[in-house]
Amino acid sequence: MQLSSQTLSLSEKLNLLADAAKYDVACTSSGVNRAGKQGHLGNSVSCGICHSFSSDGRCISLLKILQSNDCIYDCKYCVNRAGNDRQRATFTPEEVCTLVTEFYRRNYIEGLFLSSAVCKNPAHTMELMYRTLHLLRNRYRFNGYIHVKAIPGAPAELIEKTGYLADRMSVNLELPTGEGLQKLAPQKTQKAILKPMRQIQSGIVDYRLTAGKSAFLERSSGNRYLSHSIFDTRKQISASAADLGWISSSSARSLPEKERSAPFVPAGQSTQMIIGATKENDYQLLSTSQLLYQQYDLKRVFYSAYIPVNEDSALPSRETKPPLLREHRLYQADWLLRFYGFQADELLDEAHPNFHAQLDPKCDWALRHMELFPVEINTAEYADLLRVPGIGPKSAMRILKSRRSSHLSFEHLKKIGVVLKRAKYFITCEGKMMYHMRLEQQFLTRQLTGEEAASNWEVSHPEQYQQLSLFDAAVPGHI
Amino acid sequence: MTVYTCSPDLASILTCIYEAWNSRLGYRNVRLMTEPVGNLELFCDYCHVEPDTEKAASVTRSIQKKIGATAWRLVYLCAMSERSDAPDIIYRFLLYGFSYGKDTLHMLQEPAVFHAFEVSRQVTNEAHSFREFIRFANISSGFPILVSHISPKANVLTLVAPHFSDRLPSENWMILDDNRQLAVVHPADRPFYLTRLSPGEIERLSLTESTSDPYEELWKGFFTAIAIKERSNPDCQRTHLPLHCRDHMPEFKNL
Repeated sequence: MQLSSQTLSLSEKLNLLADAAKYDVACTSSGVNRAGKQGHLGNSVSCGICHSFSSDGRCISLLKILQSNDCIYDCKYCVNRAGNDRQRATFTPEEVCTLVTEFYRRNYIEGLFLSSAVCKNPAHTMELMYRTLHLLRNRYRFNGYIHVKAIPGAPAELIEKTGYLADRMSVNLELPTGEGLQKLAPQKTQKAILKPMRQIQSGIVDYRLTAGKSAFLERSSGNRYLSHSIFDTRKQISASAADLGWISSSSARSLPEKERSAPFVPAGQSTQMIIGATKENDYQLLSTSQLLYQQYDLKRVFYSAYIPVNEDSALPSRETKPPLLREHRLYQADWLLRFYGFQADELLDEAHPNFHAQLDPKCDWALRHMELFPVEINTAEYADLLRVPGIGPKSAMRILKSRRSSHLSFEHLKKIGVVLKRAKYFITCEGKMMYHMRLEQQFLTRQLTGEEAASNWEVSHPEQYQQLSLFDAAVPGHI
Repeated sequence: MTVYTCSPDLASILTCIYEAWNSRLGYRNVRLMTEPVGNLELFCDYCHVEPDTEKAASVTRSIQKKIGATAWRLVYLCAMSERSDAPDIIYRFLLYGFSYGKDTLHMLQEPAVFHAFEVSRQVTNEAHSFREFIRFANISSGFPILVSHISPKANVLTLVAPHFSDRLPSENWMILDDNRQLAVVHPADRPFYLTRLSPGEIERLSLTESTSDPYEELWKGFFTAIAIKERSNPDCQRTHLPLHCRDHMPEFKNL
């Protein structure tokens, strides 16, 4: 285990530390527009750019590596836990900088995603990461995207200094509840995790107010037309948060003025949770996300299906399949919160704490609220169009635009690119439905689950698709 | 039916539209297409149009003035498409455009407008995929230069070049369109330009694809290490990154 990292070549280190970082989700490079500068390398585009897709179908946008995998903690679910017998390595700041700039010039990556195991102690680790970023921005003149993890327990000043160099910061929530954390990562506490999250949030608020923007991050422009999205109610919540002293613009600003000139975490902060390692239900998970969006103004919450890498009595068994369909449903619901004006307690409640396996969350919601349907395409408001299964912000906008010049029929909808596969059951055009059918929950559930079955099966069994071969000799008893 | 044909570049397409319009034959009796013309039809007159900058400029001006800058962008994108009916699609769009003005852009339920919209979207989507998947190889012959080969369907060079010139302002780089023998060349700290390549240049530059770059090996290693075995999903990978895009990408060489 104590193999010195000095003996490893750059390529061995890269493979080792990329492999150790692969379970981190959130390889996004979005949220900030920054033009290039002469003499510098790189720019940033707010839509984010993927540069490749690995064989698990996940996008590769950033060079996702750990600064070090030499961890002092022993979190039960983690590959890099101190108790695991693994080769350990630590990148020097110069090595990371060379890799980032050379990969970036060749258009392999959009920037750097730097995380780390806790090496020696949180302060040492954060210091090392700060030095990497400082070198990269100043000596290597790198102007591309940087996402960096804040290490809970590191000094506030270091986190702040790092924030001025990064585009996005994130603190891993790891598990949605404090009890789960206690059980699987006894050296971490939820309080210690939320502290840097709050610090980064107040830093972002400060920066945004001084830059003349609103205190809250920009959200999808469609949210303007929605009357009770989760971001609408957050104004009242944050007002009370200010009373509680959570957000204070007079927070400890330790740095001198000139070091604070750069934007502070302009792409916002994010977090991630592991799902399926502990017993939480979907309702708890989604409510946690909603609270994080409202109270910490997070840009994104990421979910990562638990993949068993360690044997431990507190963990699900090694044979457990990663709950990919559940992860998929949570992401679908997450989008409903951020773009469609839904609230967590509309989608799930104590009586239905988990998502439907066969139906996506929006269909499931619509079938429980048949009194709101059908929706008339030619007169409905944007908010109501968005609630129709199969219609998203893009289609809804196109409908609004096109119906200005003429009445729309189903033929028109097809032409402007609205997908009717699910929508046809819930809409009328000029008072008529597409087919003559009953709007009845039982009947529609059967129709919709039938149509969705194949794609759901694909999500949960990504690899088991196999073309039948005519000449397959492997069938026992035939040859 | 009269068919106006032209070569597939912007000036020719716009001139072709000018001629079709000016012929006063009526929109039902003309068709426009790019050369080479595949199947000739029996009861058609074929009429070749040579590019004329004056006429092209006057079409550009009218579009910008009467329908607006957004519509001009749409027309430009359609003209970059590889489809042989691209001039016809633009012509039919302009029929509506010149009578309804700015509002035309919202009339997606009209097939002519939607068609133009769809083609322009195909082109922007392809251009975006090259922002993602272009790979440069570092060649140093005295000074470092980054070279990339692409074989796109649409003529995307002028659409991707501004992105890279903002991104890599102080690097020498060039992107070569292997299908059209065109290249965008960007000398460090200076504006980029579009140029046609001679056969000799193409031959010399094609060698850059086989030279080895040490960072390609590092990148391949990273690409393999970052994938999670338990989640392996080649179908999903293929949806996002189709096989035809992989020809020039080092991570898919000798896999």
